[in-house]
Amino acid sequence: MSLRDCAAIVGIGQLPFSKNIGRPEEVTALEAATLALEDAGLRPSDVDGMCKWSIQVTSENAIARNLGVPNLGFFGEVGYGGGGGCGVVAHAAAAIAAGMARCVLIYRSRNRGSGGRPWAGTSRERDQSQTEGNETAFFSPYGFVRPVDQVAMFTRRFLHERGYTTRHLGWIAVSTRKHAARNPMAMMREPITLDDHARSRLVSDPLRLLDNCLETDGAAALVVAAADLARDCRQTPAWIRAASQGMGPHNVTMNNFFHDPFLESPGRHAAEALWRMAGVGPREVDVAQLYDAFTPLVLASLEEYGFCKPGEAGDFVSDGGLEVGGRLPNNTSGGSLSEAYVHGINLIIEGVRQIRGASVNQVPGARLCLVTSGNMVPTSALLLRGDG
Amino acid sequence: MSDEAVVRRTGGAQWLPYWEAARARELRFQRCTACRAWRFPPQPMCPRCRSLDSAWERASGRARLLSWVVVHPPVLPAWTDRTPYPVVLVQSEEGVRTIGGLVGASADELVMDMPMVVDFTPSPDGDLVPQWRPG
Repeated sequence: MSLRDCAAIVGIGQLPFSKNIGRPEEVTALEAATLALEDAGLRPSDVDGMCKWSIQVTSENAIARNLGVPNLGFFGEVGYGGGGGCGVVAHAAAAIAAGMARCVLIYRSRNRGSGGRPWAGTSRERDQSQTEGNETAFFSPYGFVRPVDQVAMFTRRFLHERGYTTRHLGWIAVSTRKHAARNPMAMMREPITLDDHARSRLVSDPLRLLDNCLETDGAAALVVAAADLARDCRQTPAWIRAASQGMGPHNVTMNNFFHDPFLESPGRHAAEALWRMAGVGPREVDVAQLYDAFTPLVLASLEEYGFCKPGEAGDFVSDGGLEVGGRLPNNTSGGSLSEAYVHGINLIIEGVRQIRGASVNQVPGARLCLVTSGNMVPTSALLLRGDG
Repeated sequence: MSDEAVVRRTGGAQWLPYWEAARARELRFQRCTACRAWRFPPQPMCPRCRSLDSAWERASGRARLLSWVVVHPPVLPAWTDRTPYPVVLVQSEEGVRTIGGLVGASADELVMDMPMVVDFTPSPDGDLVPQWRPG
């Protein structure tokens, strides 16, 4: 049994991204959910399942109560922040394949542009390190607490081992921004150059400001429907050809340098499972949305998902390799680096747009789109397929 | 809670032996009592033999440099005056990977895979913690 082609993403909804959306996360989640259902041509009474990121504060019963959903026969959530996005869709598709639901609503709302950074003020998130099971509590006395620091530690060794340079990271930032420039929803649309990247201020050397994603207030939602329902919906279905999760051995979240083999990311495991279920490989992929909370994650993903061998990702991304018309058009909405950072739900939505033929940076004839989630944490991936 | 206090988070009871050893200028890692495998960060079970029995044994304090970062603002208030500051990743002779601050050198002097030795200097809250210097 497989969930392959059992379900499709039939509705997408997204509010304008901003630094201060001015409304609570519960309200923006409801607005996005309403947009996604309208997009699909479905009603709240059609919804019989919900799935969410575990860090999403607004609960399923609050959404269901507000929308007037009569019953949820399936609800669940996936942890590990940005690693969970495609996994949320995977769980929805798995529930549909298993007969637990026919129409699953997924939502993510996050006021992080206007809210505080967890490491810059007193918050519940900081106090979690006082509890058992916090494997990185010993980082705090060294002032090593931001995700960017932990990714930078991985990055310096990764560049060293593979022979990559920060100029390769620059190419990823430049290509992504080029796509964002054509996307009216993107928060950062001013084109940048490799020099702009190289001159942007250091945040955690070797990573610079333009290697980092955006702090965003955003809300978005998806509707995943069973195959028979999907065919009757208003939009072209984005079929879930395959979906997977991966963790690998000895996982320490955000710190792949604890892994064995050294530097191996959970992405390799998600990739293996994804291609096995899909029955196709990276050569068949027309367009990708590779999780880009930080530029080096894209370099690692290109290796893990088999687009190039270890050590070849630098050449792969150079000279516009990730732009439309290049080797692998990637993050065609501007991604987390230049459109918005909402734990990757915008990457899934852009994947759906590519399958519909509705992207502002449309890849002509795109039929297969790979979407990945954060690969420095327990991760997940989706392969979306069009009907053509 | 003051900013000075929150930079020093213990992580709960299973971390206490690590911090107590550092106050005595000793580097200790968790080691399985049954199969003698080292492990870090600490956890209740040995992933090699599944024993729940462990002890905190003294490490040699010698290691190899695997990576480093230099932290720039914005950071926690207690760290603002110290920026930019380096943090290093090392692999100990016991095979354990750990991080710490850099002492006795600047980041410019670091070379991949160079030998490092443990040292003990205070964190911002004044407590001795393991740090690393080229050696």
